[in-house]
Amino acid sequence: PLVVAAASRFLLFFLMQITVTEEPDMLFQKVVILVKGHDRAVLDSYEFFATMAAKELGITIGKVFEPPKAIERLTLLKSIHIFKKHRVQYEMRTHYRCIELYNITGCTAQVYLEYIQRNLPEGVAMEVTKTAMEKIPDHILEPLWKEIPTDDKPSQ
Amino acid sequence: YLQNKKTAKFYPSIRFLYPSCHRNRAARIRVGKGDRPVTYEQAHHPHHIAHRKGWLSQHTSNLKGEDRAAERTIEDVFIRRFVFGTFHGCLANEIVIKRRGNVLSVCAVMLQKLPPQKFYFLIGYTESLLSHFYKCPVKLEIQTLQDKAVYKYL
Repeated sequence: PLVVAAASRFLLFFLMQITVTEEPDMLFQKVVILVKGHDRAVLDSYEFFATMAAKELGITIGKVFEPPKAIERLTLLKSIHIFKKHRVQYEMRTHYRCIELYNITGCTAQVYLEYIQRNLPEGVAMEVTKTAMEKIPDHILEPLWKEIPTDDKPSQ
Repeated sequence: YLQNKKTAKFYPSIRFLYPSCHRNRAARIRVGKGDRPVTYEQAHHPHHIAHRKGWLSQHTSNLKGEDRAAERTIEDVFIRRFVFGTFHGCLANEIVIKRRGNVLSVCAVMLQKLPPQKFYFLIGYTESLLSHFYKCPVKLEIQTLQDKAVYKYL
């Protein structure tokens, strides 16, 4: 059964209202959290916090890795008028950190992501990709050629 | 005096004639006689930003794949001028602006030039005015010092 928990502002286990419904919970095969920021140290500490929270909640952590940073460079003229040969270069570095969680239920994912997102540091953005698992619909289970009897009619 | 005028070199104030105009002058303090106090922020040049300095304005719009950078920049400029004007002469250092979700957090270090009641009033006034203006909760976090924190003298 789906357990809907409305978490309060501060901690998970503080003043939570839990309602139980009959619909089956969503199952996620993989939840990928990609965090990006300008400062590598901030991402380091956030990764430590997220992995610690996942361990405390009993979530299986898959890979925690660092995709290569992306540098966006601009070359502009240094002077307001003429001097084409003298330019100034600026760059914007985006560092990434990726945390993959495997085999997680919908409720746990919702609570964990809400906790993680409420504590996102400023200047850091997060992208979440969820891969859900669904039961195969019954009409696809058996291949079609087994049910339909073969017709021996010559094709026109 | 006339002799000085005759022997004085002709130095026209035309920018493009001198190679020193090709030097970078942005956000840099040039070395002087040693009597001018300078804070940590001012003493380090912009190329030290991710290494010895932090960021004064923290938001996600300059990351790769994010947008609305220009709007954030304009808001920042307005907030800096506004706070500089309301707390005139009281600012010890540059303002740090942080955006977390919807909340705009303005952190400033002030000098103890005004009595605390006036400070509280100005803080409340800034917060309410900026929140109404930007339609988001604006928080002002202020710390006070006796004097400016001097890093070195240039």
